[in-house]
Amino acid sequence: MSKNLRFLVVDDFSTMRRIVKNLLNDLGYANVQEADDGNTALPMLQTGGFDFLVTDWNMPGMPGLDLLKAVRADPKLAKMPVLMLTAEAKREQIIEAAQAGVNGYVIKPFTAITLKEKIDKILGAAA
Amino acid sequence: MTNPATALRDEFGATIAALSNALAAGNEAAFFTELDGLLQRRERMLFLDLRKLTGDLQSALQRFRVDSRLVDLAEKDVPDARLRLDHVLRLTDEAAHRTLDLVEQSGPLAERTAKAANDLKEPWQQFRDRKIAIEDFHRMVRQMDAFLDAASGDMNKVRENLSEVLLAQGYQDLSGQIIRGVMKLVTELEIALVDLVRLAQTGARTARHVSDETRRGFGPPIPGIKTSPAVSGQQDVDALLSGLGV
Repeated sequence: MSKNLRFLVVDDFSTMRRIVKNLLNDLGYANVQEADDGNTALPMLQTGGFDFLVTDWNMPGMPGLDLLKAVRADPKLAKMPVLMLTAEAKREQIIEAAQAGVNGYVIKPFTAITLKEKIDKILGAAA
Repeated sequence: MTNPATALRDEFGATIAALSNALAAGNEAAFFTELDGLLQRRERMLFLDLRKLTGDLQSALQRFRVDSRLVDLAEKDVPDARLRLDHVLRLTDEAAHRTLDLVEQSGPLAERTAKAANDLKEPWQQFRDRKIAIEDFHRMVRQMDAFLDAASGDMNKVRENLSEVLLAQGYQDLSGQIIRGVMKLVTELEIALVDLVRLAQTGARTARHVSDETRRGFGPPIPGIKTSPAVSGQQDVDALLSGLGV
């Protein structure tokens, strides 16, 4: 069942989206779609069909933190697992993300193992 | 040059005379009309002085703001930009070498597997044609055992290397973010310089300023550039988050 989860990967760099998509595929998650910032991602999420959001922070248009807040503020999306995957490394930002309700935070550059661990942990906690 | 005493007499003499005449004559209405006129004239002069002073102060403040922003840019942000671009150079260099290393490591493994498979073709064909000698058959079986072990090991390693190559491409995102930051700085520098030129020409122009960075993000941390406290890696993030109950 869990391998049928539908992922949305949000990052303004197409290379990073491809990397994350490939890694998710390697982990057995075949259903992965992409968006290049919060403004593109939010309508996709609201249309429905996604189970897991992986988002960057620093993006033009709507940054990841705003996307996270928008997701938590939308009753239909409020419970969606959100993993932040970002180079933003300030303690105040991580605290900010935690307070906004992030489920996991992976710092770039990252490893395939870290990504797997965090996803497993989030899914384990949600189950 | 006008004598100050003469100037004063020219300006106020008539009014003072009218005032003292009204006082001597006991004409209250005329006295107060003259007095009000005198006070109004004085107020207007004060107001004009004040306005000029405010204008001077404002342009001095603006000049100071543009100057101090330029000083900031020149003393801190430009050297920071150099560090940022150095870091980009390092990131791209490391990623290119990492990728090349992995490709160089994988090439021979793929080649070895292809060659070993190729070496098995001939005895295997003889076996299929039932024309293989018994000692050749024994040799082929040993060869096959070795091939299966080596091929699965080598190909696992190649698969692993390909994943690493994939991850190494993350440099594009990180260096791209840093380059964008430097581009923003160049724009800001341009604005500050244009403001300075305008100020020198006309004496007044406001400097625009970029803010709201925490919300939008700062980009990757750069070694050698001091900022507010940052985590040093994933372990730090995990510790911080578990402290926050995430």
